[in-house]
Amino acid sequence: MAEVTLYHWEPNANSGKPMLALMEKGVKFSSHYIDMLNFDQHKPEYLAINPQGTIPAMTHGSRVLVESTAIMEYVNEEFDGPALMPADAQARWRIRWWMKFMDQWLAPSFSMFGWKFFVGPNALAAHGQDKIEEQISRIPLPERQLAWRKAVFGLFSEAEMAESGRRIGVGIQMLEDELGKREWLGSDEYSLADVNGFNLAYAMPLSQPHLANDELTPNIMRWLRAIYRRPATRECWKLGRTPMASRVEILEQDYIPPRDESEGIASGVR
Amino acid sequence: MSMILYHGEPNGPSLAVLAALGESGLTVECRHIDLVGGERHRLPGVREALARDMGVEGEGPVLLADGEAMTESVFIAQFLDESGAGTLQPKDAYAHWQMLMWCRRITERCAPAAAFLGCKATAHAALAKLDQAAFDALAQTIASEDLRGRWTAVRAGDFPEAQTADSVTKVSDAVAMVDEQLADGREWLMGDLTIADFETYGWLVGMAALLPDAFAGKARAAAWMERVRARPSVQAALARAVTSNPEANWAPGPEINRWG
Repeated sequence: MAEVTLYHWEPNANSGKPMLALMEKGVKFSSHYIDMLNFDQHKPEYLAINPQGTIPAMTHGSRVLVESTAIMEYVNEEFDGPALMPADAQARWRIRWWMKFMDQWLAPSFSMFGWKFFVGPNALAAHGQDKIEEQISRIPLPERQLAWRKAVFGLFSEAEMAESGRRIGVGIQMLEDELGKREWLGSDEYSLADVNGFNLAYAMPLSQPHLANDELTPNIMRWLRAIYRRPATRECWKLGRTPMASRVEILEQDYIPPRDESEGIASGVR
Repeated sequence: MSMILYHGEPNGPSLAVLAALGESGLTVECRHIDLVGGERHRLPGVREALARDMGVEGEGPVLLADGEAMTESVFIAQFLDESGAGTLQPKDAYAHWQMLMWCRRITERCAPAAAFLGCKATAHAALAKLDQAAFDALAQTIASEDLRGRWTAVRAGDFPEAQTADSVTKVSDAVAMVDEQLADGREWLMGDLTIADFETYGWLVGMAALLPDAFAGKARAAAWMERVRARPSVQAALARAVTSNPEANWAPGPEINRWG
């Protein structure tokens, strides 16, 4: 059988989606860690695999696949193992709808907050401004350089941050309402939408403790803890190398009370 | 299951879904709505309004299935295909991934650009004609704050030069991508006819009149557009038009990527 290699960063957001999907399916794969904050994804050896320089990427034999949600769909269809899409066509539609909504509407807002308060400051502390500037200047596309500068140095406008904050609030409430309807996100069966959503939401009780906690969002907390208990999730998060992945341990707490927004922001800066 | 497909003029995502419905062999009641008149936000019998209100696509068609408002043209097309004839998606997982990736390039890059340029050309004038009270009444029915913001921008004629130029580039890139994809002589974008053909055609067909330069010299893309247009499913969709030029009908679509 053709070999599977996954090029990924931390079990988090886009990288975590195919990692967890492969583990849920029981597919053996070679894990190839790409240190995103060391800009491994722009080095020639990685660009030879994925010229776009995006992570994650997966190779299956001679096939190269990119885009985390689409990779998950491939993994589910190509390999034996438990089905991660239900048989009911309307439930499948709902799963696809939620994945697009999270990927395109909600996740970019979480990402803006994540870079501003957690990833950016930690990257600066770890590597220093000069080294990061030098790495960014080697990125071929000018608009990608701009996006990276904006992300690492937190150069988002007040309007952008306010809109992202609004979307995070709306999105968390939508998730809470939806998870009140069925056991899993959009479906009665565990699916790719849960794999996707967990990667987006697992640290919410830590980073957005004023919005996601056992008082305000009991359905989200039930759902996050249920996914955290799955053996595949435990295995997946072991592949994390930074404090980012260890945030998942907050889900071991039986009760998480509401906390002030400022505590959430402080939680990520090390 | 009780199903009603609410669609706008056969253009953009409404055209794509109507064509997919035709290929599916399913019998579904179709009802025409005036998208730029805001009728999509006043549909009867919607028990689950989440997708109608918060979908990324904006003013696309709505398939009301057992009270649930289903949106996003690619996913509605997949649902119809999977509930019906099952001919519009590759069975091989890798070919399916390629089709999904193609559709994402269209919905994420081309669709926001086409909707922006289409609204600039036509929807702006339609909305600017409304008096403030009428527009406010319409806007009030739009639950999504950011979609409402796009309606307001279209009415105000807020089409920044940089976004216009970027949109022209993105539509032109999509036409070039189609032309390149067909270079090996294939008949359809993925080899066999798939959802990708209808989704791509729906967003591009109305651009030909607005951006003739993007189509100039793209003979393979032009011939493919003729083939798509000649499909009985597309002809049946076009027969549902209530205006003489359905390709000139636009309403606010997906937002332009906030990260640039």
